[in-house]
Amino acid sequence: MSVGFRAVQWNRDKLVYDGILLAAISIFIAGFAAIHWQWHPPKNLPDAIDIWIRAFGTCAFLMLTAILAIGPLARLDRRFLPLLYNRRHFGVLTFLVAVTHFCFLLAWYLAQNNLPNLAAELTNWKDYAKFIDFPFKALGIAALLVLFVMAATSHDFWLLFLTPRIWKAIHMALYVAYGLVVMHVALGIMQGEYTVLIPLMLAGGLGTVATLHLVAGWREWRIDKGIAASDDGWIAVGSPRSIPDKGACIVAARAGERIAVFRDGQQIGALTNLCAHQNGPLGEGRIIDGCVTCPWHGYQYRLADGCAPPPFTEKLVTYRVRINRGIVEVDPRPLPPGTPAAIQCPSDVL
Amino acid sequence: MRRTHRSVHRMLWPVLALVVAFAFALALILRAPPPA
Repeated sequence: MSVGFRAVQWNRDKLVYDGILLAAISIFIAGFAAIHWQWHPPKNLPDAIDIWIRAFGTCAFLMLTAILAIGPLARLDRRFLPLLYNRRHFGVLTFLVAVTHFCFLLAWYLAQNNLPNLAAELTNWKDYAKFIDFPFKALGIAALLVLFVMAATSHDFWLLFLTPRIWKAIHMALYVAYGLVVMHVALGIMQGEYTVLIPLMLAGGLGTVATLHLVAGWREWRIDKGIAASDDGWIAVGSPRSIPDKGACIVAARAGERIAVFRDGQQIGALTNLCAHQNGPLGEGRIIDGCVTCPWHGYQYRLADGCAPPPFTEKLVTYRVRINRGIVEVDPRPLPPGTPAAIQCPSDVL
Repeated sequence: MRRTHRSVHRMLWPVLALVVAFAFALALILRAPPPA
């Protein structure tokens, strides 16, 4: 990081992001309830509570779909990156909407003095061996527990405590939660309601998330195929001019991690493509104030040696670079973090 | 994302997506017909 870096704490961008989300959630839920109220006016208190259960449940599903779409969208088009920056806020809000959905469910049972029935439904063990009569509420509760763990560990404290690798592995459970929610709806309300809207919403959500992941995954796989090394093990990057000034080219050796080769005027250096903060794609960032700046949260590192400027202490793996017959080449064998390895490109070559 | 994460990611989510899509289709096909 640098002294100019804004640490992950409340700032104007986050407040705007959260404000827009809260407004969208409020409008959706109010609109859903109003339309449902007109379409099927409730006859009693449980019917009225049921409308709120559906409103919050539908909202939570759509929010989960949006969250899962943000990752691949940001890979495909940089304009979606601002949605990625504060995605954890989106996640926490989704958990809160899902919990509200669950609270209304409990209220529905309480309004009919029927809470023991919920326990009976969840503990009727024979139903767990069935498919159509599977206790769908158990699927919803399991998804809610996953969302709770993710919301509870969303703060940067947990990222540092668990390390980015384990933190990311835990947060991959969002995919499992999404599958549980799809089946919760498919084996729940879709069994009793024959409107086309429910299957359309589920298939549309699942299809959108899957398609985006397939397209983004194809592009990422092509980069991961890597470049064959020369006889001495070095990889060709391109001419010095092919590396954008204040920007980077990302390369990878076969079966290796990605390497970001930056150019700052005549200085060329190679760092790991993984930011020390959350393994963000450093190579998609820019050089700002003389430092390589991660596009996700602004963490900064010196190009010369991969170290964060004082007083910060993060260090990145660096790689040797050379210019061979006018072509920049990088040695994919990593150097210890913080090793100076950048070179000056002769002006006649540039 | 690290290379190993991407590899796990690429193996995990297509399997999950296929399982969920299959189960969803089954739930749609096997549900009881609407009451007359």
